[in-house]
Amino acid sequence: MGKTTYLIVVCCGVGVLSWCLRAVPFLLFGRKGEPPKLVSYVGRVLSPAAIAMLVVYCFAGYVQNASSREGAFLLPEMLAGLVTAGLQLWRRNPMLSIIVGTALYMVLIGV
Amino acid sequence: MKIFRLAFKDSLPVLMGYSTMGFAAGTLLAVHGGIALPTFWGAVSSGLFISGPLQYLFVDWVKTSLALGSVFVIVLCVNFRYCLYGLSLLERFRGAGFWAKFYLIMGITDETYALQMNCRLPPGRQLRLYCLFLTALDHMYWVIGVTAGTLAGSLAQNVFAPERVQRMTAGIDFAMTALFIVILVDQCRERVNRAPALIGGMAATAVFVALAAVFGPVRARADMLIPSIVAIVALLLVFRRRLEGGRS
Repeated sequence: MGKTTYLIVVCCGVGVLSWCLRAVPFLLFGRKGEPPKLVSYVGRVLSPAAIAMLVVYCFAGYVQNASSREGAFLLPEMLAGLVTAGLQLWRRNPMLSIIVGTALYMVLIGV
Repeated sequence: MKIFRLAFKDSLPVLMGYSTMGFAAGTLLAVHGGIALPTFWGAVSSGLFISGPLQYLFVDWVKTSLALGSVFVIVLCVNFRYCLYGLSLLERFRGAGFWAKFYLIMGITDETYALQMNCRLPPGRQLRLYCLFLTALDHMYWVIGVTAGTLAGSLAQNVFAPERVQRMTAGIDFAMTALFIVILVDQCRERVNRAPALIGGMAATAVFVALAAVFGPVRARADMLIPSIVAIVALLLVFRRRLEGGRS
């Protein structure tokens, strides 16, 4: 698949899928009624689990770069990640945490 | 007009957040996405997805040409919570015309949802109008932010050598990791979310390590999401009673 075809398919596919996900309750329960208990349970617990999975997924992307580094395996990533999490716990300001964490990471891998 | 002014005033914090986050995602796409016409694709994707995490992941997808199945699984996981937002918006959107409702649904995001739930207007035409204005404003901020970011990224690559811009911005992709960390930290403030987050993190790590041992880290990362999410859903169902019991 060429790059342009890939882009078209991803944009359309993800666009349609995003809309459908958002529309599920309106399509299923538009008239009346509550969702089944199992659905609301999975909906509630899947979100934190999926976000944690995505954090792991991001770190997995650094493993390849990290193995070429000597000694400090994933050290810059871990440090920048911890600073980001700590700042967010402390100041509750997403932009601040993301900017400081990213800047720190850029400095760490630059030196 | 009064309703529009109210919606605009309420949306100002979103303007700050979306334009900066969008700008960063757009710059990333232009500098590290490695595609022609990044501004066009930035505008199209941001207009259709209307999602911060997906916008950052989009760069990753086009860079690695990630398999479509994995892309769709990610979308499903990342945006699954929007299903639940809709449940509480059912009443508020009731009575809207077909296209109005279509657009209101398309524009559901964390921030827009929060503001819509926060609005004190009585249910009815005025509230629906308020929700519609809010959706359109937030949507606009996001698309403008991303598009401006791609323009800035492309411009920087025209002024300096592309390799130099890439070197100068090396590591900026950590913004996506940081975004997920921030969301995770905020979710873990609620005690009920901690055990599911732990399950998700451990299951994904186990799947990645197992795949990496067999196929190496690059292929393991590309293929880890589908087995991970299957394992996670299975574990969440197995531990359902305990996870619900721990509810506070």
